This record gives sequence, structure tokens and C-alpha cells, in this order.
Amino acid sequence: MTERDRLAAQVRTAGLRLSKADLDALLPAWKRYQALVEELRAAIAPDLRED
Amino acid sequence: MRGAAVAQPGQSLRELVDAMRRGQLSPVELTDDCLARARQHRALQAFITEPGDATRRQARRAQQRPARKEPRALLGVPIAIKDLFQTRGLRTTGGSRILRSWVPAADAAAVARLRSAGAIIFGKTNLHEFAYGVTTANPWWGIARNPHNPQRSPGGSSGGSAIAVVTGMAAGALGSDTGGSIRIPAALCGCVGLKPTYGAIPLAGTIPLGPSLDHAGPMARSVDDVGLLFDVLTNSSRWEMMRRSRRQGLARTRIGVLRGNILQPALPAILREVDRVAGALKRQGLAVREMQIPELTWTVAAQLVTLRAEASASHARWLRSRPSDYGRDVRLRLQLGTVVSGSDYLLAQRMRARLREALRRAFDQVDLLLLPTTPITAPVIGTRTVRWPAGPEPVDGALVRLTAPFNLTGVPALSIPGRPDDDGLPIGIQVVGRWDDEPRVLAIGRLVEELSK
Repeated sequence: MTERDRLAAQVRTAGLRLSKADLDALLPAWKRYQALVEELRAAIAPDLRED
Repeated sequence: MRGAAVAQPGQSLRELVDAMRRGQLSPVELTDDCLARARQHRALQAFITEPGDATRRQARRAQQRPARKEPRALLGVPIAIKDLFQTRGLRTTGGSRILRSWVPAADAAAVARLRSAGAIIFGKTNLHEFAYGVTTANPWWGIARNPHNPQRSPGGSSGGSAIAVVTGMAAGALGSDTGGSIRIPAALCGCVGLKPTYGAIPLAGTIPLGPSLDHAGPMARSVDDVGLLFDVLTNSSRWEMMRRSRRQGLARTRIGVLRGNILQPALPAILREVDRVAGALKRQGLAVREMQIPELTWTVAAQLVTLRAEASASHARWLRSRPSDYGRDVRLRLQLGTVVSGSDYLLAQRMRARLREALRRAFDQVDLLLLPTTPITAPVIGTRTVRWPAGPEPVDGALVRLTAPFNLTGVPALSIPGRPDDDGLPIGIQVVGRWDDEPRVLAIGRLVEELSK
């Protein structure tokens, strides 16, 4: 399954129907979003260990 | 003396109120002046619904109440309203096609307070569609343009409000700020804008974007005017009390000049201007020191996750039923928000708590923070990327980099025009204070204003 397929599946789960053009446009933004979330997770990880 | 053009475009709101109280200016004359300027600057696309006959009717009604006997703070003063706030009997579009014909039956709470104070509701200003962006390049109502250079953006999302204030179309304006939407256009257009403490001004009747980040706030041509509007909008006299006390206690104010990664990169002219202001404050006897808050580096990620999730929740119904009625940029942001998971959102809230704690610690050491409002001046319309020596940065990301931390944390933040750059483009200086410390933020803001003339 490609990243594009995973994004398409998530969007469908959210109840949206995206055009091919919108999905293509969304993919780079989604990748940037995922990278930011990973950075957040890494930054918060020490806090989580202390919980 | 009465007559045409009694009010000058740069006159402060307080000067206009005083002139009307002395009988030197009437609400109708002032409104006619403002209407003439709105026509003169129509190409800047400041308004979605231009002020019209209803505006003149309000002015005539205000004129029938002798200002000298009428203590209302804003009697006869034209105030432009961002088209995100409901206005009774006046179309409210949110800058969208979806709401292009909606005429609300009631005012938003903030508008009602302005109206109660005697303000003339002076049209509905252009904004980024649903306030979800920072350029005011609106696909349905026109691309707003910067009064200093029409090839450049006024910033957003309250771009039309800033244009109206700077050009003298209105004496003040109401804006909203979810990631910087009051302060960014204030900085790029050269006016003053205040994002107060979260919740200080009620948001009832305001189209929501990110409910935990949304703030309403005033914009005007001077800090004192913004303070006057703040008092009206918060139904208080907190600024008036500070203003009357003059600078008592301010000499002991401790200022932290923000340094560190969050400021990198930024235009050298902007960093020099902040340093000039910091030096001038120091010469006034204030305790000025440099300070770093490393946690602010995480702002972009926490803001993005929080806003994407909340905005998509706010728009869930229309996003499913009418996706093609959104402009492309806003639609993509909203669609992205639908895939934010609950665990991602909670992660962002944990980081947000950490940011708040970092600010609390910073405010143990200083009373106020000083930093640029934006790391760039007004970008050319249509530019999507800032080309820094270290690499590219999206324009919208650069514009919110220094403002969004204070939406996430909810502290008051004020943008004041510093001295412009060599091309005459405005530079915004940001003063940030503790929760509920708006009077001190405004007082030091007024000092910054005086030191920048």
C-alpha cells in the first residue's frame, strides 16, 4: 500500500470523497504533517516516560 | 470649524471623539469623509460589503444625540467589522461563497458592545476565506492589497480591517486572530492590533475556526485607540485607568528581548528594528535583557495539529456536503484536518501545556516579551515561498511563526508599527505580556510607539 493509498483510505474513513487532483495536492501537505507529528512525539516522549 | 475633510486620514479615534464632543466635527461629516476614502481606495478590496445608506442613517441618528451630553465612548465613530462577525440586518459572509447571502438577525457580542458604545458599523471587511489563511487573497470577494504597495499582500486574515484603518476609511476596526490574524495585517500594513487574553472579548456570534485558538480584538491607528476599543469590547475601564495613571510603575518594567531559533531566519532590517526599540527602551530606564524560550520551537507543530483538527471539526458539515464551495487552499487545509487523529491532537495539547509552562517561567523573570510580529515584510501577492539562504519556508508558515505561540498560550500580544524598512514597508514590533496584563502591554506599546516616531 502506497502512502497515497493510505491517505485516500483515511480520507474515505473521514467521510470525504476527494478528486484525484485534490488527493495529489493533499499528499505533500500530509507528509509534512506526519513529519511534524513525529517531531512532536519525539519531543514529548521524555514527558510520557515520566507519567 | 466644520467643513469637508475635517477629519484627516491619520487622525486618532480619540481625537475624532474629542472633536465631535467639542462640536468641531459631526458624525455625518466624519462618516462622509470615511465613505469618500472607501470609494477612493476601492481597488484595495478592503470591503466585502461596502458601507452604504445604512451607515449614513446611523450617522444621522448619532448626530441627533448631542455628543457633549452623550457620554458614550464611540458615539458617531465609524468602525469597520471583519466579515466573520455577525451583524444584525447586514450580510455576513465569512469571506465565503457558502454564506454569500446570509443576513443575521442579531449582532455578535463584540459588535453589540461597539454598537452600544455608539459606534457606527462601517461595512464588512474582506478576509481570508473563513479566516483560514494569512494573505486575504479571497477567491470569492477579491484579492486585498497592501496600501503601501498594491502589488503586495496586506496579510490576513483580517487584511480588509487593516486596510480600512490605515487608509482612514474607518477610525478603527474589529478583527479576529487564530494564529496571528490581527497582528500580521497590522504589522504588514502599519497599524496597531491587539490580540487580548483568550476569552477576554466574547466570541458569541463569531464564525468559529479553531475554538481553542480564536480571539477577537481591536485594530486602530494608535495604541491609545486600541486601548479605548479594548475597554469597550471588554466592558471595562482597564486601559483608561492605566492611561490616567500615566507611567507609574512602568519604569520598573522588565523586558525580555526574545532570541533563539524561533527568530531564525528573519530579515535583518526587522531584527535591527527590534534591537533599536530595545535600546531605546533601555535608555528610558527600563530593565531590558535578552531571553530565550527554547520550547517555542515546537509552536509550529502544535499549532498546525490543533488548528487543522479544530477547523475541520468546525466545518465538518459543509466540507462533506459542499466541498467545491470552498476555495482550493482552504479546502485542502480542511481536508487535511479530517485525518488528524485523536492521539495526534492530544500530543499537540501536551506540547501546548509545556509551552504555557515555559511562558509562566519566562514571566517569572520578565514582565513583557519583545520580538518582531513577523520575520518578513509584506510579501508580493502570489508568492508562496520565502527563499532564505538556509532554505525555503512557506510564506504562510513564516507569517505565523512569531504570532502563533501566543494563540496557543492565550497571552495578550500587541503589534505596533516600528520604523519602516528602506523600501517604506511597515515593520511590526510585538509586545507580549502575562495573562490579563493588557494594560501594561498597551502602556509599553504606547512607549514603543512614541520611540518609533
